[in-house]
Parts: sequence; structure tokens; C-alpha cells
Amino acid sequence: MSEEFDFDVAIVGAGPAGISAALTLAKAGIETVVLERGQYSGAKNVSGAALYGPILNELIPNYWEDENSFERYLTTKKITLLSESKSVTIDADLRNFNQVPYNGVTVIRPKFDRWLADKAEEAGAMILPDTMVEDLVWKDKQIIGVKSGEEVLKAKLVIIAEGANSILVEKAKLAKKPKPRHFALGMKETYKLPKKKMEERFHLDDKEGLSNEILGYSKGIPGGGFYYTNQDTVSFGLILNMGVLTKKKLKAPEVFEEFKEHSYIKKLLKDAEMIEYSAHIIPEGGFKHMPKLYGNGVLVVGDAAGMVLNAGLYIEGINFALESGKIAGEAAIEILQTNNYTKKQTRLYKKKLKESFAYKDLKTFKRASHFLENKMMFTYVPDLLTGLFEKLLRNNGYPRKRIVTSAIGYVFKKGKLFGLLKLLIGAVRSL
Amino acid sequence: MSKSNKPKTLEEKLDLTKITTDHNYAHIEINPEICKAKCTTYDCVYGCPADCYKFIEGEEAEGPVVFDYVACLECGTCRLVCPHGSVDWKYPKGGFGVEFKHS
Repeated sequence: MSEEFDFDVAIVGAGPAGISAALTLAKAGIETVVLERGQYSGAKNVSGAALYGPILNELIPNYWEDENSFERYLTTKKITLLSESKSVTIDADLRNFNQVPYNGVTVIRPKFDRWLADKAEEAGAMILPDTMVEDLVWKDKQIIGVKSGEEVLKAKLVIIAEGANSILVEKAKLAKKPKPRHFALGMKETYKLPKKKMEERFHLDDKEGLSNEILGYSKGIPGGGFYYTNQDTVSFGLILNMGVLTKKKLKAPEVFEEFKEHSYIKKLLKDAEMIEYSAHIIPEGGFKHMPKLYGNGVLVVGDAAGMVLNAGLYIEGINFALESGKIAGEAAIEILQTNNYTKKQTRLYKKKLKESFAYKDLKTFKRASHFLENKMMFTYVPDLLTGLFEKLLRNNGYPRKRIVTSAIGYVFKKGKLFGLLKLLIGAVRSL
Repeated sequence: MSKSNKPKTLEEKLDLTKITTDHNYAHIEINPEICKAKCTTYDCVYGCPADCYKFIEGEEAEGPVVFDYVACLECGTCRLVCPHGSVDWKYPKGGFGVEFKHS
């Protein structure tokens, strides 16, 4: 190929996946440019979960020494089931997660992504904010660059790190427009809550943090609420399966508001002042609905690659983004050495990715996304369990039965035994 | 902080989000003719987290839809849920649109 290239690698999107790739490439001395449509890295990004400390540490060794890198390290995880007027919470207090590199940390994306982007810049990558990539540049069947407005930027390899709503993946002919049932809408509010108040409310010491997943009370729509603590703000949101939401003809913002009416949520948000509202979509199709991850002159990473895991207890996105970005960077270094940027070489990325925890997790839980489409999980199960606790704990003057007898009796009375059995089998098979 | 008992309306919530509107470029456009000929489900109205899609004849009256991109949070829901391809969805030009600070 006698093409003149402006850069070795052009990366579209300066989120965790794109920056992780850029950092890896720049460290190896590869000429790398990152094109970011936002005013800065993270300006368009919304997250709903935690970052794995060990993964971040691999990318930025001793990241915790920099105060700006994260908000709080997680020592408390709560899982809550909600029904009409009740809730049951499992509260796992894991103080031994307070050791560096920390098991998980919370981050504020506009802050974290920018911090990470600075690291890539320091390593030598060029980051261009305010730059919207509208299209790809093709030569025959090979992608050889990107287009932003009138400008064309040629690169030997293009890495698409555009995020969940990836139009370029479709333009690169690596996927068709996804189905709504394989996506969720996440709405989120950030609240100001003074540090001292927060720490009192959740029994946290300085820098310790909590995250809470909340199931049920979402109008029977698969999904759930989340809540976690930052330095002096809390992030609260609701995730709803798009296909079911629209089929039920319920308006997303109204479902969110009604969810907030539950007394459990009200207590979480008490006296806190909302300072921002945001929304984002989340790929939830899992392993079976990922796009093709490579093509002639192109690799796909992060959310754009559908690399998000929803397995109930684990909801992963950023960690897979960091990992897939890093692997794409490593693969690109090798691909560039061959001077051949066709599928024949770019498939190396997938080969390497298959060895990663991210890909393996997605494979392990490949049945989970289908299982979590089961609406019983979001209505019947929270109702059943909260109701059962109520029955077991209510003092009504009658002599008590054995706990097991009461429990079995209650479950029988609630009916839907066949459905419950099917659900349990599904859980065993997929989780 | 004591006033926080009254829930914020969606409009008040959207006021908290910084959006730099590009008045010369609507990044999303709908095709009213396709909507009129094909749509019976109005998935855009139900899916949008920012209420950018509204029924012309009032909240409860399912029917023709009007769209305004100004409050758009750029999530992409409408692009995915529209079964008729009536939503021509592009990202705003570089530097325009939402700018999250705390998300």
C-alpha cells in the first residue's frame, strides 16, 4: 500500500476504552490520535457502577496516589429487593476491601475520563476534543481513516470506541442496528450530600464507599435501580429494558419519578440536593449480540463492541472497556509491524481478547441476559421475598410455626410455583 | 436544602444539565410522513428520557408526535426504539450538546 497516512492509529472516542487503547499505543511510541466529540473526555459519559482497582492499577500503576483519580473505594455492597411498601436488603460490609489497589472504586466520569486522558497525552497521544467523526474513509473494502466535517484524517488502523450508541460500527458493516430488547436506558441523577452527612448515613469512614443495587418496583420492567457514593455527591439511577418499557407504553422519566416515591429510595435521597440529570443507553444483549470486533483496517472496543455484562450481581462496563482498549492497543502494535491491516491481521485482536477476563466473563454469563429478561425477577420475586419476611416477622398473637413450614406454606399460597421453578432452573443454568 | 421535599419536574431537572444548543443544526430529525403512514406505537414518546417527543394533542392523546432536539441528552434511545426508521439520528457537531459535569 502506498497510501500516505497522517497517523498510525486513529481512535474514535476518548472514553475509558479509547483512552486505554491510546495509552497503550502511545507508550509503545505509536503515532496515535484520539477524536472526541465532547468538549473534553467524559463530557458525554455517564456511568452507573464501579471500577475494578486491579484493572486500573495495571493501566496506571499506583493510581490511588493521585487524589483526583477516584472518589471512594467500595467497602459496602447492598442488594435490595423492593415491593409496594416493603424492602429487604442484603448488606455486605467488606472492610478488608480497603487495601490498595482496592477491589472497586467509584468515579465521576467527566473527572475520571479527563484524568485518564491526561495520562495518555503525557505518554504522547494526541487528543482532539470538539471533534465529531461522522464517517469512515474507505479505499476498496479497507477502512483507511475517518471524516470529521470536511476534514479527512488517514490512519493505518481505526479503533472505534464510540460508546453504546455506535453509528460507526454500523457504518463499518460490523453490525446492524441493534434491537431495543437488547438495550437498556439508564437515567441518573447526581445529588450533593455533604461528606459528613453521607458518612454518618451509611456508616462510612473517610474515603470508604457504598454501592447498592435495587431490584423491583420498576413497573415490572427488567432492570433496576442503583445508588453509590462519591466524595460529596451520590449517584442514583434507574435502568430499564428499552423493549419492555416501550411495549408497556410507560414514559421513562415517569417510571423513574415513581420509583423515587418508594420510601426506601426517599430515605437514601433525604436532604440531598439534585445537581445533575443525565441519561445513557447500555448494551445488554451480552455475548450473543456483540458486533463483529474487527474488520479491514478497524477494531471495535468497549461499549461499542457490546462489551457489557449484566448478570444481576455483576454489572460491568467500564472495566471491560479498559481491558478491551488495552488489548486492542497491544494487538494494534503487532498488527502495525506486519504492514498489513486487513482482516487477516486485525483478527489478532479477537484472538487476544478471547484470553482476557472480560471476554471470558461475557462467555460465562452468556445466558444471563436472556434469563434477566424474565419479568418474574422484577415483580414476583421481590414481592415474594419481602412478603415472606413480613409474614415471618409479624407478631399477631398466634403461636409461631416452624420457619420452614411458614415459608413453604407462604410460597405455596402465592402460587406460580411452576414459574418459580422455571426461574430457579434458569438461574442455576445462567448465573 | 429543606425545600428538597417537593420533587423536581422534568423541566427543572433538565435545567440542571448544561447543554450548548447548536441553533443551526438539528442533530436529530424525524420524518413526519413515515410517522403518519406507519406508526401506531409511538415508542419514541415512551422511551425518551428528556420528553423531546410529545403528542401534539396533549399528554394522553396518542397520535401525531412533535419533536424538539433542544433538551436532548444524546442517549440514542429513540434511534433504537423506532421500528420504522423515521428517526434520522446523528450526534451533535463537535463541542455542542450536553456537557455532563457530575455524572
